Amino acid sequence: MQISNPIKSTHVTCPACGLLCDDISAAKLASGELEITQSDAHRCEKLLKFFKRPSQRSAEVNGKQVSIAEAIAHAAQLIKQHQSPIFSGLSTDLSGFRAAYQLAQRSRAAMVHMNAKSSARNTKVLQSTGWQTTTLTEVKNRADVIVCIGTDVVSHNARFFERAVWTKEAMFTDPSARQIVYLGGENLDTAQGVSPNGVPPKVLACAPQNLPEVTAALRALIQDKPLKADRVGGIALAELAAVVEQLKSAKYAVLVWIAKDLDFPHAELTIQNITESVVALNHHSRAMGLSLGGSDGDTTVNYAHTWLDGLTLTERDENQHDLVVWVNSFSPDKTMPAYAQPVIAIGHPDTVFASPPAVFIPVATPGLDSAGTLFRVDSSVVLPLKPVYESALPTLAEVLAQMEAQLA
Amino acid sequence: MITLLKNAKVIDPAQGKDGVKEDIYIRDGRIIAKPGDSEKINQTIDLNGKIVMAGAIDMHSHIGGGKVNIARMMLPEYQATRNLTEPEAHICTSSCTHHATPSTTDTGMHYIEMGYTAAFEPAILAINARQAHLEMGDTPMIDKGGYAMLGNDDYFLRLLAGKADQKAINDYVAWTLHATQTIGIKVVNPGGISAFKFNQRRLNLDENNVHYQVTPRQILQSLSRAVNELGIAKPLHVHCNNLGAAGNFQTTLDTMGASDGIPMHLTHIQFHSYGTEGDKKFSSAAAQIAQALNANKHISADVGQILFGQTVTASGDNMMQHLNAKIANPKKSVIMDIECDAGCGVVPFKYRDQNYVNALQWAIGLEIFLSVEDPWRIFLTTDHPNGAPFTSYPHLIRLLMDKSFRNDAFAKLNLDAQAMSNLTSLNREYSLYEIATMTRAAAAKLIGLHDRGHLGIGAAADITVYTEQADKEAMFSKPDYVFKDGELVVKDGKVVKVVWGKTHTTKPAFDIGVEKGLKDYFDQYHTIQLDNFKINNDEIAQDGRNQVVDHFKQSD
Repeated sequence: MQISNPIKSTHVTCPACGLLCDDISAAKLASGELEITQSDAHRCEKLLKFFKRPSQRSAEVNGKQVSIAEAIAHAAQLIKQHQSPIFSGLSTDLSGFRAAYQLAQRSRAAMVHMNAKSSARNTKVLQSTGWQTTTLTEVKNRADVIVCIGTDVVSHNARFFERAVWTKEAMFTDPSARQIVYLGGENLDTAQGVSPNGVPPKVLACAPQNLPEVTAALRALIQDKPLKADRVGGIALAELAAVVEQLKSAKYAVLVWIAKDLDFPHAELTIQNITESVVALNHHSRAMGLSLGGSDGDTTVNYAHTWLDGLTLTERDENQHDLVVWVNSFSPDKTMPAYAQPVIAIGHPDTVFASPPAVFIPVATPGLDSAGTLFRVDSSVVLPLKPVYESALPTLAEVLAQMEAQLA
Repeated sequence: MITLLKNAKVIDPAQGKDGVKEDIYIRDGRIIAKPGDSEKINQTIDLNGKIVMAGAIDMHSHIGGGKVNIARMMLPEYQATRNLTEPEAHICTSSCTHHATPSTTDTGMHYIEMGYTAAFEPAILAINARQAHLEMGDTPMIDKGGYAMLGNDDYFLRLLAGKADQKAINDYVAWTLHATQTIGIKVVNPGGISAFKFNQRRLNLDENNVHYQVTPRQILQSLSRAVNELGIAKPLHVHCNNLGAAGNFQTTLDTMGASDGIPMHLTHIQFHSYGTEGDKKFSSAAAQIAQALNANKHISADVGQILFGQTVTASGDNMMQHLNAKIANPKKSVIMDIECDAGCGVVPFKYRDQNYVNALQWAIGLEIFLSVEDPWRIFLTTDHPNGAPFTSYPHLIRLLMDKSFRNDAFAKLNLDAQAMSNLTSLNREYSLYEIATMTRAAAAKLIGLHDRGHLGIGAAADITVYTEQADKEAMFSKPDYVFKDGELVVKDGKVVKVVWGKTHTTKPAFDIGVEKGLKDYFDQYHTIQLDNFKINNDEIAQDGRNQVVDHFKQSD
């Protein structure tokens, strides 16, 4: 990346994953491109990719360039003509979602997020037994034992270890002495689990499909239930028992999972083994769960839907609907599924389609060329997003409001 | 544009008016003096002697923010349980839905339909304030505001343990009010939420937090003094230690003395008025609590009445909610530690009239209501949704105003609980004037809303009109008219116009130098930038749909 004439230095917040890193210094180059000047953030490919300047693109109807106003009029017609639309993708921020919710109400449309399948694994646990969880600042200042279950975390949240584990300082623990355990999962990148002093993490490998069994054994051991086995899911029971001892003697143990990485049938039962292990630990010592991952505004959209509607978003069968309104703001390489129905696609100008949708409307991206608001993946923390590029594109909320006005 | 409400029977305790027949004139959202004869009256409504009060103000109701939304997420079954069965059916009318986790829209609609024009979220985690304001911003019809939680956050505890001077505490408290856009300060289980993170399971008033070696009493002294010295109207909002525990009344009595005479408000005091007498080691200490409230004029309280049926408890007090989780019904709960700032616990509850403890809780709440003499210092709340949903207020008002109705309900309770309560010996029946005091005039005065809660010249025209009825539950369930900032928004109990209300805050002056220590703390220990912690007015205003009102007045 060439260095030339930074014209503006600023702090930006990155919406590329659920961590919402807001410690990123950036400078605008004379070329108009943004240069990330915070060295640690350079490790994050998602961040570098997100902050590339979006290309210019006009709206399209059936693959032909039209004005945005024409595309909106055409989309409004389609919504009027169909009985049962579904808003899908829903990769957007709070204001975009509020507008989508309102339009969906007006057009009696269903809604589903692109991450619905993995989100549902967590929701099922929340609605069945609940859970006991913590947030990043607590982890940073308290956690002395961290067990990553079925995930390396960094494939989703590249800066997790840098920002919450191997920190320079912590209020209640020695950060460099934290004990890291990876339990289960395949092809994990465990390099970041090595402590600054060179202490390697403990890795108890097993195939993802063995995690239901392994986490059930973990839970049983924590609850002091006798197990008659030497190995479970390919892991020696004595090794698992040693992890349980680490957890029980921890001052503040944290059990991390990422629902997207637990991609096997009834993964919610594995998550429940994790969360009930935490509940059992908390009878005598302190431990908490931490659900990470998060992308494409999924946390924000689920939360906002819950307070606006009273219910969480759930999985939907899109085939039951006769029109798809596909919204994808943040990540143009998330490809749209192939739909048999007509599609109104709204999103990032660099979105690539296998075949052109009935309507495509490029919109500004929150945190890139428009302002916005997003929830961090651990809940509780909500951060404002600032635009870093000027843009002539409308926001999703503006586009949907104009569509709604034409439904009357 | 002038609206005239003719032949009103005004009950306005702020002005000492009890059934005074008057005409009320409204212009530009405010109550005005009778205009000159030459001025045109655009709209006249003849009230024919109907009861007119200011819009009601709920000074403690969990209407927005993280834990409320967790409750919604965790309890999808609540969204479909509107058909009432026993025991709810014999306690509630159809207007009392036991809707414990309403959407933001339903929240605003249900409040205004009952004649409430403002509600205050009493437990805003500072780090979560943005979410609370987003949800309140999506709550139509009513004004909103909130109290920011301090006293378990590590920044404050480090100041206190490090023997920071009072000015440093005051600056931090004032800075927090600005940053979180709130109108009051709350402390929940002082020091206890923090202590739970260090594996302490209970914390008494004079017991040390093991890490910081400071006591709840010191925390209460420091925060109540800060609130007082800054000149904030709303006294420190205190959720005492030992919530829900048998024998906790002694903690509550001791807490009243902890501020050395500086005003404090003890919230949901019903949950803190339990003795240990009797076979079941759980008894009413309402008499001792009421006596102490009557004697200690610097203390006010809201009741947090429980009513029977299904609800959910959502509290910042994760230490005590972790203990309560074992009696969750349905059996699920969420407990969180949050950002070295606070915590939360969300535990569904079903209060049953045949359960000894629940029945006695019901009686204890009413005993307190009826034994506290000054309606300016006791407030009508159910700690929505913790004791019951706010939609049950009309029912609660009838219990206070109608002794035979109350005694009939009491006679249906668990018999052991009946034997342990003196409720039927309390003959008091609240008057409309006293109800108007606790739900209007006193609530506005407590929070510091100078232009709300009364019908004087210059007041905001938040007005509720009722038809006087013998059945007070019916009367308060369905006002004839509600005006919000001068606009007719409810007619015959139904919303006729959607408005969005305002957000009330207080912004005392402080030394901006406080941000130096905060910046260092955030950079070292937090996971967001200090600047992103602060919420600006534009975020709340939402392009003009909402508006931030600052009620801070210099005391001179």
